[in-house]
Amino acid sequence: METSKPTDFRFAPEYELPRWPFAAPPELTSGKTQRYPVVIAGAGLSGLTLACDLAARGVRSVLLDDDDTIGVRGASSRGICYAQKSLEIFDRLGIFERIRDKGITWNVGRTLSGSDEVYSFDLAVESCSEQPPFINIQQFYVEWFLVERIQELGLTDLRWKNSIKNVQAHEDHVRVQVATPQGEYTLEASYLIDATGAASPIRTQLGLNAHSSLGEDRWCITDVRFSKPLPKERWTWTDAPFNDGRGVWQHLMGDGVWRIDYQMAADADPHAISRPEVAAKRLREQLGADVDFEFVWIGPYQYRDHLLDEFRHGRIFFIGDAAHVVSPFGARGGNTGIQDANNLGWKLALVLNGAADATLLDSYQAERHPAAAENLKVTSRTAHFLAPRNAVEHRLRRAVIALARRYRFARPMVNTGRMSVANDYPATRWLPQGGRTVQNVSFNGGSVMQALRQSPRGIAFFVGTPRGDLREQAIAAGLSVHELTADCALARHLGADEGSVALVRPDAYLAMCARPPTADQFKQALEILK
Amino acid sequence: MKTEPNIADPDAFYAAWTAAQQDMNESESADYNARLVLLLANQIGDNTILEACVQAAKNP
Repeated sequence: METSKPTDFRFAPEYELPRWPFAAPPELTSGKTQRYPVVIAGAGLSGLTLACDLAARGVRSVLLDDDDTIGVRGASSRGICYAQKSLEIFDRLGIFERIRDKGITWNVGRTLSGSDEVYSFDLAVESCSEQPPFINIQQFYVEWFLVERIQELGLTDLRWKNSIKNVQAHEDHVRVQVATPQGEYTLEASYLIDATGAASPIRTQLGLNAHSSLGEDRWCITDVRFSKPLPKERWTWTDAPFNDGRGVWQHLMGDGVWRIDYQMAADADPHAISRPEVAAKRLREQLGADVDFEFVWIGPYQYRDHLLDEFRHGRIFFIGDAAHVVSPFGARGGNTGIQDANNLGWKLALVLNGAADATLLDSYQAERHPAAAENLKVTSRTAHFLAPRNAVEHRLRRAVIALARRYRFARPMVNTGRMSVANDYPATRWLPQGGRTVQNVSFNGGSVMQALRQSPRGIAFFVGTPRGDLREQAIAAGLSVHELTADCALARHLGADEGSVALVRPDAYLAMCARPPTADQFKQALEILK
Repeated sequence: MKTEPNIADPDAFYAAWTAAQQDMNESESADYNARLVLLLANQIGDNTILEACVQAAKNP
């Protein structure tokens, strides 16, 4: 039997996360049932982003959470990689600087086999945004900053220790039964947003099949601080010599904490592989026997995935993990939830303000379901590459890696994760040309996100002198109007040459770009935005 | 996908292909052929043609 001295490892003191006190909701004392325009269930990444987005648009909401803190009890951090689109959204919502200051900015990823690099990417090459391609930071910090921003905006009724017991869907509202430490109450929501995560009780209660499956691949996370300096890059090994030829991930996040994620044998006992003395042995194997380290957290996991067919059921919307879960490769979980909120927020705001027809809300499914399906496809391919299912697949992967060491052409096939992107949207009645993200490019002394903060209904960009009638129509629709020169970075990014008009939606997606648009085309595009 | 003869000297290709594997056991040969497929696939590049070849090879 292996012996271990207590001095073999030590743990850092646990993070002290903020707690927000339970306050009795008015329903508990009055006994009356009130109706609210928007009730959001779940104060995780997607629920908090939505509440914050709505508040930034002047829309009140009630946010229910069954806990009184952020993060996941007993765990260190879940998501650590925040993608450019998320960071741009956070810039618009006013918390980007805090994330940047606390987190680790990175853009280079390297994949190694044994001790050789077989593939690398630099995401900065494709970027023209004010935000970097990625920042790594503990998820609870992002949630913490969102809570404080929400409190600052003052329009969200944040109810901690309020958990959903039961929902009842009606034609024009949802009746929600809520349990609290001081008893139960009922409220009504014109729209209920389910952001309760992967194990959504609402989804379960409604009996919605999310087609879930459990991956067989086992991993063990070690979050750890150590003194050895390593590059601030994403390093992945398809087969690491210091992990019995299995995969390893190595990433830095805030407070000098490294996340090292080890692929384990398929039949490994989760309890045994996550014992600190076992994790310490793995770590020394990787970093050298003399490296000084302290554990922050150790946790084994198996990934799962699911995808709801319909993200909307009457007046209930599913966002984030409640709607879709993918394996963690490429950071397409939390980032997708944040983007769900970004997609739904402005639409809800327009509908609730009576500025748009309620059918606009159907575009949430039309745009975000294909995005989630794409993410599921992409992450499943990565999971498959990382865990060959039989001898044949091992052979094929061996061929790819062997060639990748020598030839450039084979390197893009080495798949240790395709990093989260802002997915393109298919052409629909709301987006006749389809939609793609508009990065936060600076122009005329400002930036796209700055302009969207000031003009939450969207922006009309005219390259060259605007035609008077089009300009007036855009202003009448509540959009701000900006003139660009054809050679500026933003015009090039929009693909807008002299005489073009580009309409940017409140979620920074390109709704239309035409040179010059016909009166009908322009009217139709504006119709959707107002 | 081309199904008409396209290789300039078919006999020369077959000879070179077999010669390369002359001293290999089955496992080494399988590794070799997997690498060869990848090298050849990159010469083609077009995913539609590659997909057609992937399917055609299943049912000779």
